[in-house]
Amino acid sequence: MAIIELRDVSFAYKDSTVLALSHVNFSVERGEFVGVIGPTGAGKSTLCWTIVGVVPQILRGEFSGAVFVNGLAANETPVARLAQIVGLVQQDAEAQLLMTDIEKEITFPLENLCLPREEIDKRLNYVLDLVGLRENRLRHPFYLSGGQKQRVAVAAVLAMEPEILILDEATSELDPVGAEEIHDLAGSLKKQGKTIIMVEHNIDELARHADRIVVIDHGEILRDGPTREVLSDVDFLCGLGIYPPQVTQVAYHLSRQYGVQFEQFPLNVEEGEELFGKMLRA
Amino acid sequence: MSVDDIVLKTEELYYRYPTRSDYALINVNLDIRKGEFVAIIGQNGSGKTTLIKHFNGLLKPTRGRVIVDGKDTRGLPTSELARSVGYVFQNPDHQIFAETVKDEIDFGPKNLGFPPERIEQARQRVLAEMGLQGLEEEMPFQLSRGQRQRLAVASVLAMEPVILIVDEPTTGQDWRESISLMELIYQLNKKGHTCVVTTHNMNLVSLFARRVIVMWRSEVYLDGTTQEVFAQVDQILRAGIKPPEVYELARRLLPDVRLDRPIIPEDLAELLVKEREKIHR
Ligand SMILES: Nc1ncnc2c1ncn2[C@@H]1O[C@H](COP(=O)(O)OP(=O)(O)OP(=O)(O)O)[C@@H](O)[C@H]1O
Ligand SMILES: Nc1ncnc2c1ncn2[C@@H]1O[C@H](COP(=O)(O)OP(=O)(O)OP(=O)(O)O)[C@@H](O)[C@H]1O
Ligand SMILES: [Mg+2]
Ligand SMILES: [Mg+2]
Repeated sequence: MAIIELRDVSFAYKDSTVLALSHVNFSVERGEFVGVIGPTGAGKSTLCWTIVGVVPQILRGEFSGAVFVNGLAANETPVARLAQIVGLVQQDAEAQLLMTDIEKEITFPLENLCLPREEIDKRLNYVLDLVGLRENRLRHPFYLSGGQKQRVAVAAVLAMEPEILILDEATSELDPVGAEEIHDLAGSLKKQGKTIIMVEHNIDELARHADRIVVIDHGEILRDGPTREVLSDVDFLCGLGIYPPQVTQVAYHLSRQYGVQFEQFPLNVEEGEELFGKMLRA
Repeated sequence: MSVDDIVLKTEELYYRYPTRSDYALINVNLDIRKGEFVAIIGQNGSGKTTLIKHFNGLLKPTRGRVIVDGKDTRGLPTSELARSVGYVFQNPDHQIFAETVKDEIDFGPKNLGFPPERIEQARQRVLAEMGLQGLEEEMPFQLSRGQRQRLAVASVLAMEPVILIVDEPTTGQDWRESISLMELIYQLNKKGHTCVVTTHNMNLVSLFARRVIVMWRSEVYLDGTTQEVFAQVDQILRAGIKPPEVYELARRLLPDVRLDRPIIPEDLAELLVKEREKIHR
C-alpha cells in the first residue's frame, strides 16, 4: 500500500477563488524519492501542507477529496500526530526557527518526544556535523547568515528521523556544495528505506537522486513519471519556464542541431561525460 | 582606465560583529569600476552579506576603509549614500515596511525628492517590469514570497541608483522569474550603472556576470572573469562552489580548450561537435 495517497484532492484557500490544488491524484510508495517541480505559485507548498495536515486543518479553505498518510486520513488526524511520521522542512526557514540557540532549536522537539538524553545528544551531534554548524551550536539563530538559518531548519527536522521527509525548497539559500550535500543525504536516507519528497527549483541537483518527478502548474499535476523520462522533455519544461539539467540540455542541442543520436539523455555530469565521450570517439 | 572609474573600493577592510570574537571580514581589498557587473559567491557564512552591507553604509569597518563614489563611508550618513547606492536585502521581509505596494515603491523616489510625475512614471515602469501590475493597493505581507522579493527589487529600481547592490535576488524564484529579474538588473547595467549581486545560482552567474569574486572564510579567495573562476574547479569546490555542469563537462571532456567567455549548454554542444571534427580529421 502507498505510504502517501491523495485522491482527487482540490483546495482553495479561504477567501480565494483560485484552486491551489485541482483534482490531484498522487501516491508515493514507501522508500520512493519523489521530486516536485513547477513554477512559483503552482501549488507545490500547498501539496506539502496537505500531506502534513496543515491544509485544511490550520490553513483553512475549501477542501475536497482524501489524503492518506500511512493509512491515516490527513485532513482529520491531529497535526501533531502526523508530525511523528512526516517531517517537513518549510520553505521559509526563518518562520520555523523559534528558540534562542541552535542547540535548543534541534533538541526541543526531541525532548518533547521524551527521548533519552543520550539519544538526543547523539542525534544533535550527528545533525550538527551534517550541516556544518557544530562550532556555532550555541549561537542565536537570528544572528546567522541566511544559509546558516536554512541549515538549522534542515537539521532540526532531520534530528526527528521521520519516516517521511518533505523538503520544501530547503536548499534555496544554501551554497552549491551545501545543496549537493543535502541532496546526497536525501539519497542515502532513501536507500535506508525512508520516503522522500523534495520540492526544488534546482533541477540539476534533483536529477541526481530522485526516482520520479512530478510537474505541477496551476494546482494540477501535468506530468508524473520516471526522472529521466520527465526531464528529457526539454521543450515541455522550458515552455513552463523550468530549466532542465545543463547536461540534459547539452544532449538536447546535440541531437536537435547536430543530429547526434542518443539512446537516452544523460541526467548528471558522470552520465554526460560517458555519453559525450563516446560521441567524441565514435 | 583612470582611478576615477573606481566607484566601490575597500582598503584593508576588517569587520567584526559586536557580539562576536572572530572577524566576519579579513583584509578585503577590492576595486569595482563604474559599469561592472560583479557576482559575489561563496559558502554560507563566508561574509558576502557582511561585505556588501559596507557598500551602503549599513555596516562601518572595524578597521580599514570603504570608499563609495570617492567618499569614505565612515563619515557619511546612510541617507546620503542612498542617493547613489540602492540596496536590496537578502530577505525581502527585512526591507519591506509600507502598508501598500504603492507606498513601498514610492518611498525611495519621494525621499530623493523626485517630482510627482517622475514618481508616478517610475512606479508604473517597475510594476510592469516586475509583473506586479494591479497589486498597487495590496498589503505587501499578503503577497507570495516570490512577489515580495520582486517588490523589494522594484522599490530599489524605482530610484535608478548609479550603484545597485542586490543580495540573493532570485531565492525561491523559478528559472523564468530569475531570468527576468536578472535581465532587469542587466538592463540597468547596460546603461552604465554598476551592479553587484550575490547569489548561489551558478547558472545565473554564468549568464550575467563578467567578473566573479569568491569569498571564503571571511576573505576574498578568488577574483577573476567568470570563465576563469569556474575553470578552477578544485579550488572553488573547497570554497563551497560547484561550477555549472557545462564547465565541469568541458574540463573533463575538452581539457585543452581554453574558454574565452562564459558558456551555456548550446555553447558546449557546439564545442563538442568541433572537437569531434578535429579528432576525425
Ligand atoms: N496562505 C495563503 N492564503 C491564500 N492563498 C495562498 C496562501 N498560500 C498560497 N496561496 C496561493 O495558492 C496558490 C499556490 O501557492 P503555493 O504556495 O502552494 O505555490 P508554490 O508552488 O509553493 O509556489 P512557490 O514556488 O512560490 O513556493 C498560489 O496562487 C498562492 O498565491
Ligand atoms: N548580525 C550578526 N551578528 C553576529 N554575527 C553575524 C551577524 N550576521 C552574520 N553573522 C556572522 O558573520 C559571518 C558572515 O555572515 P554573512 O551573512 O556575511 O554570510 P554570507 O556569506 O552572506 O552567507 P549566506 O550565503 O548564508 O547568506 C557568519 O559567520 C555569520 O554567522
Ligand atoms: Mg512554495
Ligand atoms: Mg548572505
